[in-house]
Amino acid sequence: MSTVIDKAPAVAAPVRTGRHSAAAVLALARFEARELLLQIPVFVFFLLYIGHALWKLFLPGDGMDDYPALQSVDRSSQSVLPFLAVAVLMCVNVAALRSRRHGTDGHFDVLVMEPWRRTVAHALSVVPFAAVTALVVAVQFGRAALKPGAAGHGSPAELAVGPLVVLLAGVLGVLIARLCPSIVGGPLFIVVGFATFLTASVVTGEKEHWLNWLYPVVSENGADPIPSDLLGRPAAWHALYLLGLTALLLCAAALVSGGRTRLLKALTVVALGATAAGIAGQSPGHEARLTAARTQVNRTPGRFQSCVVHGRSTYCSFPEWTGWRDDWARVADRVQRLAGGGAGGERLTIRQRIPLIYDLSSDAALTPLSTPGEVTVGTRWGGSRVPEFAVGVASVLVAGDEQAVSRVCDARVITVMWLALAAQDDPAAAFRAVRLDDSTAGSALALAPTEPVPMSAEQTRIVRELLRQPRYSVTARVKAHWTELTSPKTSEARVAELLGVPGAADGARNGSGKGADEGAWCQQ
Amino acid sequence: MSAVADGCLRVPVLLPPVWRALPWRALGAAAGAGLAAAAVARLVPGGPDPAFALVLLRCAAVAFALGLAFLLDDPARHITAAVPTRRAVRTGLRMALAVPLAAVCWTVALLLIPGRTRPPAGDVTLEAAVLAALALTGAAAAVRCTDEPQPGAAVAVTSAAGTALALLLPERWALFVAAGSPDWAVAHQRWAALLALTVAAGTALLPEPLRRGPSLALRPPH
Repeated sequence: MSTVIDKAPAVAAPVRTGRHSAAAVLALARFEARELLLQIPVFVFFLLYIGHALWKLFLPGDGMDDYPALQSVDRSSQSVLPFLAVAVLMCVNVAALRSRRHGTDGHFDVLVMEPWRRTVAHALSVVPFAAVTALVVAVQFGRAALKPGAAGHGSPAELAVGPLVVLLAGVLGVLIARLCPSIVGGPLFIVVGFATFLTASVVTGEKEHWLNWLYPVVSENGADPIPSDLLGRPAAWHALYLLGLTALLLCAAALVSGGRTRLLKALTVVALGATAAGIAGQSPGHEARLTAARTQVNRTPGRFQSCVVHGRSTYCSFPEWTGWRDDWARVADRVQRLAGGGAGGERLTIRQRIPLIYDLSSDAALTPLSTPGEVTVGTRWGGSRVPEFAVGVASVLVAGDEQAVSRVCDARVITVMWLALAAQDDPAAAFRAVRLDDSTAGSALALAPTEPVPMSAEQTRIVRELLRQPRYSVTARVKAHWTELTSPKTSEARVAELLGVPGAADGARNGSGKGADEGAWCQQ
Repeated sequence: MSAVADGCLRVPVLLPPVWRALPWRALGAAAGAGLAAAAVARLVPGGPDPAFALVLLRCAAVAFALGLAFLLDDPARHITAAVPTRRAVRTGLRMALAVPLAAVCWTVALLLIPGRTRPPAGDVTLEAAVLAALALTGAAAAVRCTDEPQPGAAVAVTSAAGTALALLLPERWALFVAAGSPDWAVAHQRWAALLALTVAAGTALLPEPLRRGPSLALRPPH
């Protein structure tokens, strides 16, 4: 029997995938993101990252972070990013190779979704993690910026590096999976990439500006904050470079997996252009010009500063730090109120200065000023920098100028240290904080904004005893004997007697007060 | 007794198939990457400084360990689970074949570092041994706790992430200390303790489990 069909069978129109493919890609990306979160490395690293950020946020600090300089804070969180990136790269790589490892590639070939859309979905699965990174970075920076003592300006481009690096790592993981579909690819790539980066930086000696900035994260921490216009970091170009590179690698991964749409090709060209523009923008190193500008600000800070008079003294700061002058004034006034003689009424100039640095990752010391009555203050404040500044003020009050302070190696140290510490809210804690080794006995260097003040064991003992006595009684004695106390000829025993501190328990200890180490400090 | 003797008798028969079944591509790639990292020391003009040489050697050690993470991959696992030779013997045989190769690679890597800048060979070898033992133990744990025939990728990723995590350890517990650091000796006591723990754990994980353990919500990459 046969059937005659007089009409051609109705063939269903080809399924139009265009409209729904985006939704499918997003759905797959969402699924892969959840899978990614449950993988041990990603979970542990993000847990640690968020935990560390929360711990920093809610742990009551010691005051060292109460006065953040925002142009340093914005890049301070970048140094942990490589660890996040490593975890994300490896896990995305393994996820993208899952179908191959399980032999299900063939099954996917019969699906409507093309392989390149699957690739894009794997890359998009990192977006929630980039968003979490962005959130953490934003909260960290926002918290610092909202502190009453915040100074300076942060850069959005520096903040964008965090999420961009996580995105880049994910996209790179997908690209490696497509280029080298071997299961050993991801982790080995990390090791080889690390060794390559390291070798490149050793061979070029980290002097090639353009090569340094090709690395995704250039954190450059270490130096004290400096005014924003002296930073010389091409942060915006670098963010463009990272963005362009991420898009370029994503397009490359899609092209390798067989994507040939016009939009994809156009995007590749745009991404290539953005990457090239980013590299071109960040590559020129303006070393000479920057060093010249920094040298000028270091030598003649007054030309770049504004000054304000508070009480007797003048306070000069760079424009970004004007908010801290009141805090400096409070400390300087309290120290000066304890001093006697002419020093109590001396007109001081408190000048903010930056050390001469050649790159942002190495710290340098400030040279003492030779102008009488001029005190240096740095670009950090809060915590132990407060008593350090007080030591600077007190030593200028006692010795006259900062260069003379470095030659103070006699009993005047006792007066300097008592003035500085008695003006603090918690003199005992400040005493520990201001000494280099955090000790309260024996000889040590006491920190100051410029040159440290060497303290012998006997001087330490006398200052410790003085801080135990009521402040008003010591103040009266200091004011009464000011001339003798600030004379380099007065001996330690005499100062102790004038201030009412009993001598050391035994003569031997008194004799050993001048140890070999502080002798060495004083001769330098 | 007879079971042990039986196992010993079977070893020569097992050797050729186990040798053929080793995951040669992963092992080869890892060995190549590790040796290339060490060979960089010969290519740097003027020779590497001790700190750089140490980092290169550590890179090589991590690369070798990543290769060893794939050692227990067995695509035919679900078939070989039923053979009379116990898994401990088969796994032991794989390790016995791979460990001398790894040792040779490591010796070559050590010799590639110029003698002047080579870090203390015994201590660095201890580090490499711990990394390798951790990777092998991870592989043994993955085989024991999952049904995955090829858990190598997951183990390698977890080992690499663990190594990165070890870099973040606070100074008190630091493992990767700098060359010439005063903590070098103490850190290597930690490494030795870690080796003892890892070998003990690895040995305990070798036999086939009697029953299936609870499954985790969190999982290694699969």
